[in-house]
Amino acid sequence: MWRKPTNAKPSSQAPSTPERSTEIPVAPKAVATPEAPKPGAISEPKLAVSPVPAAPPVPAVPPTPAYTPTPAVPVRAEPVTKVVTHDTASPSSIGMGLKIRGELSGSSDLYIEGEAQGKIVLINSRVTVGARGRVQADIEAREIVIEGSVQGNLKAHENIRLASSSNVQGSVLTPRIGIDDGAKLRGKVEMTRAGGSNAGGSNTVQSSSNANKSTNTANVKAVATTAKGE
Amino acid sequence: MNWLARSRPSGTATAAAPTKPNSAVSSDASSAKSRTSNGLKEFLWLMSDVSHARVLDLGPVWQATVNFFLEKGYRISTDDLLGTWKEFVAAEEDRLRAAPVTEDGFTARLSAAALADKFLETALKYTEESFHGVLAWDLMDYFEAPVSARIMNRLYDILHPGGAVLALFHSRAPERFYRYRIVDTQTVELVPASALAAHARVFQNREILDLFQKFRSSKTFVGRDQVREGLFLK
Repeated sequence: MWRKPTNAKPSSQAPSTPERSTEIPVAPKAVATPEAPKPGAISEPKLAVSPVPAAPPVPAVPPTPAYTPTPAVPVRAEPVTKVVTHDTASPSSIGMGLKIRGELSGSSDLYIEGEAQGKIVLINSRVTVGARGRVQADIEAREIVIEGSVQGNLKAHENIRLASSSNVQGSVLTPRIGIDDGAKLRGKVEMTRAGGSNAGGSNTVQSSSNANKSTNTANVKAVATTAKGE
Repeated sequence: MNWLARSRPSGTATAAAPTKPNSAVSSDASSAKSRTSNGLKEFLWLMSDVSHARVLDLGPVWQATVNFFLEKGYRISTDDLLGTWKEFVAAEEDRLRAAPVTEDGFTARLSAAALADKFLETALKYTEESFHGVLAWDLMDYFEAPVSARIMNRLYDILHPGGAVLALFHSRAPERFYRYRIVDTQTVELVPASALAAHARVFQNREILDLFQKFRSSKTFVGRDQVREGLFLK
């Protein structure tokens, strides 16, 4: 007759960790904070990082179960975690509740969950407008992903993706485009050469693709262009 | 572009009829069905004369439709007119609810014509003669007469001389609301969707001609599914 080994019971670990309850609240924060002050950071990182004086090198090596309580982690650390956690590449972020007006440029990827007005030019980067993001600006970037609402023209040098929750009013200029079912677009779509620009907006594109109708893969690939007047 | 002077595209005459769902296409909407569209085939044939034709799709944006036109070297604009209309009407209702009640106990509700005029102050604001083709699908069935007449006038204005409008008209109230996307040169897929507006009316043939009276010529295809496809040339 088969018997479970007694020490394999799931409950057997419980008694051995009396400190377990104290470990939960703080340890994740210590992991999330370290790389916040990135040089290319655009807006919120600066705002958020400044009040935290040199985020004390929290003993961020958490594997040790014995936790040493860090008094410096308290309330102020919260915004920093918001900024960093979205992506592993830690893009700069305009978080919810934040409004920005003006021209935004740089080399960092950007994630927008707040509101932005003006112009966004991040030619070598990726701009993502999250589901709650509201943008009234022209956006030019290497790659653009829209999940929220945009009023303005989109120009990407590699590709644009409109998610099903997106609502775009403006023209779209890109070598490749992916459109999810349910996306809303009020404007024209024009293709450019990959990596190139279409200053006159008058290039014709013969594209080759095996488009899958309801997926978000990048589908249209510019192959050739011939310039002709409108 | 003069279809009267040109020979017809080959194999046009077969009657439009709904076909079984195309499994390769209807991956997301299991109840989607496709139908043969001779109107679309003729529409594309007319566009083929124009290099870099500009097409306005008044339905929602679909990857398939966008790809279809881009691959042909056309420029495609999308403007979900019925969706915009729905939002507009909802905003008007909100405005009415918030408006003070007049002395005689009524709020100032706009007539359909005035509503349409107000709608067109912001909708379909394109440069005159900027499109060679407009895909209106079955939108006109969902607008009241004064609204559809004004919309059609606007479409006429933004259409290039020689340009064409493809419009569909149900011969009886449709069982459900569909959006249309292009599968190939002669096939459209009907994607079921939640209704954006109630079906307003069934057009009689005479009413259709009246609606498009400014257009130079028209051509109608009647399908076995009781849908009339009209192609109207400016």
